[in-house]
Amino acid sequence: MEIIEKIKTNKSDENITEIQKICLHKLQSSPLPNPKSELWRLSNKSKLSNFLDYSVNEKDSKFDVPYPKNSQSTIRLIIGENCQIKIIENNYSIQQLSEDELQKYIKEQISFFKQNENWSDLLNLSLSCKNNILGLKINGSKIPPIEIFSHASSNSLKAKTLVIFLENNCDVELLQVNLGKENSSLSQSTFFCLKENSSVNHGVVSYGENRSNLLNSLNVIQQKNSEYNLGSLHFKFNYARFEINIKQSAGNAKTNIKGMQITKKDEQISTYTKIEFNGPNGFLDQINKSLADDKSHAIFEGSIIVPKIAQRTDASQLSRNLLLSNRAQIDTKPQLEIIADDVKCKHGATISQLNEEELFYMRTRGITLSEASKLQLSSYFQEIISFIPVSKDKWDLLDKLLNEN
Amino acid sequence: MVNENLVKDVVKEPYKYGFVTDIETEKIEKGLNEDIIKLISQKKEEPKFLLDFRLKAFKKWQKMKEPDWAALGYKKIDYQDIIYYSAPKQKEKISSLDEVDPKLLETFDKLGIPLTEQKKLTNVAVDAVFDSVSIATTFREELAEHGVIFCSISEAVKNHADLIEKYLGTVVPPSDNYFAALNSAVFSDGSFVYIPKGVACPMDLSSYFRINSGDSGQFERTLIIAEESSSVSYLEGCTAPMFDTNTLHAAVVELIALDDASIKYSTVQNWYAGDEEGIGGIFNFVTKRGKCLGKRSKISWSQVETGSAITWKYPSCLLLGEESVGEFYSVALTNNLQQADTGTKMIHIGPKTKSTIVSKGISAGNSKNSYRGLVKMGTKAKGSRNYSQCDSMLIGDQASANTFPYIKSQQPNSEIEHEASTCRISEDQLFYLQSRGIEFEEAVSMMVSGFCRDVFSQLPMEFAAEADKLLALKLEGSVG
Repeated sequence: MEIIEKIKTNKSDENITEIQKICLHKLQSSPLPNPKSELWRLSNKSKLSNFLDYSVNEKDSKFDVPYPKNSQSTIRLIIGENCQIKIIENNYSIQQLSEDELQKYIKEQISFFKQNENWSDLLNLSLSCKNNILGLKINGSKIPPIEIFSHASSNSLKAKTLVIFLENNCDVELLQVNLGKENSSLSQSTFFCLKENSSVNHGVVSYGENRSNLLNSLNVIQQKNSEYNLGSLHFKFNYARFEINIKQSAGNAKTNIKGMQITKKDEQISTYTKIEFNGPNGFLDQINKSLADDKSHAIFEGSIIVPKIAQRTDASQLSRNLLLSNRAQIDTKPQLEIIADDVKCKHGATISQLNEEELFYMRTRGITLSEASKLQLSSYFQEIISFIPVSKDKWDLLDKLLNEN
Repeated sequence: MVNENLVKDVVKEPYKYGFVTDIETEKIEKGLNEDIIKLISQKKEEPKFLLDFRLKAFKKWQKMKEPDWAALGYKKIDYQDIIYYSAPKQKEKISSLDEVDPKLLETFDKLGIPLTEQKKLTNVAVDAVFDSVSIATTFREELAEHGVIFCSISEAVKNHADLIEKYLGTVVPPSDNYFAALNSAVFSDGSFVYIPKGVACPMDLSSYFRINSGDSGQFERTLIIAEESSSVSYLEGCTAPMFDTNTLHAAVVELIALDDASIKYSTVQNWYAGDEEGIGGIFNFVTKRGKCLGKRSKISWSQVETGSAITWKYPSCLLLGEESVGEFYSVALTNNLQQADTGTKMIHIGPKTKSTIVSKGISAGNSKNSYRGLVKMGTKAKGSRNYSQCDSMLIGDQASANTFPYIKSQQPNSEIEHEASTCRISEDQLFYLQSRGIEFEEAVSMMVSGFCRDVFSQLPMEFAAEADKLLALKLEGSVG
């Protein structure tokens, strides 16, 4: 594990930025997360060490977009390739964050980091070079959809960072696509700051190729009256972790999350979410779906934290899981930590296989078993996919999920 | 608008079992080492296999670390500052109840436990445990007629050594966890139940645990074996006097159900919980586990947890036998500075196994109440089902309620459902009841009782009445 060696020795290199230095320093005493901690307990150790085995290569290979851009107005950005952007129109503007703004924000975030909870971010920020950090400030409304791509080329480990500020009253649709090439590791950290009255439909689609790995971390801060909608999909990774940290800094905000992970072969994909309400009248509706087939392992851990200040919080979390093979494994742990008394909080979890009665019904109508299973799966997937913005019209994700492999 | 102070007043209730019995006791010196264990074993005149069992467990315990994963905060326990054996002085051998120290009988009388002949009319056989030893077991002859063995575990070691050697430590091995290892090394007494093949136990069996001494820990061990096609209902109650120090209680309960057998284990736990500032109270670290070994066997846990400063307790079921059933019904009430981390583990190993979990947590004052449960479907648990429901109720804005369900499945042909909710006493409901002329305290108590109904309905009749009264007492203030 070359990276760990590098962190341990931490030779002061002139090229590394201050942020990298801070993060390297934080990781130095214990470069790896504690495997016994709740957040890393189920994570496959050898897969994680395989993630770190690739060498850090700052140069990217040519990026092939997964689908054509069908509308001229869509804004398409590739982290690491074209980081220069400045669009100022009558009703909106998209600009790069200044070096100072970026540094200040990231440093502030780092000060709250904890070794096990934010290990993925610490690793990301200690590896992410200047070119691979994209900071955007978005203002206005009627903004054309934005697509942001991240990828790692074969036989390398890449760290990409995205920081987005949504100014007051801003309203935007943003799709983030993380692509893993064969034998690659991608570390993607995203920081979102939603100012008052802003709203975003955020889509995260991550899919890999043979033996690709992903550490995807998403940190969101929501100010008053903001609305954050997230639709996410992770599939085809040998090893992937999706960590979501959402904080409603003063309550009175809305969060909707619909996520899905699909594991096959011997893959392991996990989703960890932590949603904190730091003020009253917060709202959360979360559903996470997993599907595990072959010898794979799908994990979901979600925690909802409602301190005393967060009165009248309304939060619900549902974990639905399909286990399709008797060698596959599903772990799920939805959890509530509540101190405020005037709240409505609930969670639920189910694990089952495809509904046999429904399959039987379809078969009596002359539909073959495989078609019937596909139909059932497509309805299972559709709820999540239809929530992912931008792509839903032009990129047939459903088809990709049902017919590939 | 609910008056917050009124609610706080309502949840205050003095502990009525807090008296100390002034009786001469025989104690050994404080501390824990091999010699102490040998001394306990010697005092109990135990066979060699048991002493070896204890010493082995002690060695394992020394290598273990106290668990810290539970959502509990308490000051470190000094295991060398505890007396591991304390017994009321009495005549060498007791042949009948008449020879029991009247002070002890009086104590149990005060606690409402019928040990004396005239009170034995209720159809419940009782094994009364005072500090480290069992004082008396009632209805033994009647039970013996049916072949049921119900006695203290020390007697069982002497009279039924074969059964003890065969089953002790098979459900909860000494290496299972820190507190189980400690218990295995120093356990002093407890109850032993053996129900022979085809016998439905003619009466409910009950153990009553009383801690009297302030500086000694209580480490009892219960073992229940239900042979093929037998059934038994077992009740457990516990109280302790009020001391400013914390007393350690680390018990182990092992249940074994063979083919078609069923065991119902009910607990009303009312250890002293400490005062309003959180001074004193029992540290309750208990390992309870049942093994559904046989086909169609059934183990059902029901518990009402109202006491203890710290509760760390996860009654579990290992569902090995085909079509075996595990159940867990729990009400946990915490008040003041009490902390409870409790729940269950349902491990589905055999095919077509079923489990149900219903947990109700009520947190008031500054207390902390966590549900922690594990449901696991092993690869062979084809056609198995689990249903879990855990609801929390918060009274006041200082209490916390947490839910940590761990769900793991490796079998596609199984179904797991889990749901949890958190609420508080609704103002509308309170208003409605009050507008019908029901007093505020009574309305709160009615709603809490309604909230716990699913669990109370599972308790044996004697206990259901007691549990309802206990909750009402804890919640109703002067009304009770």
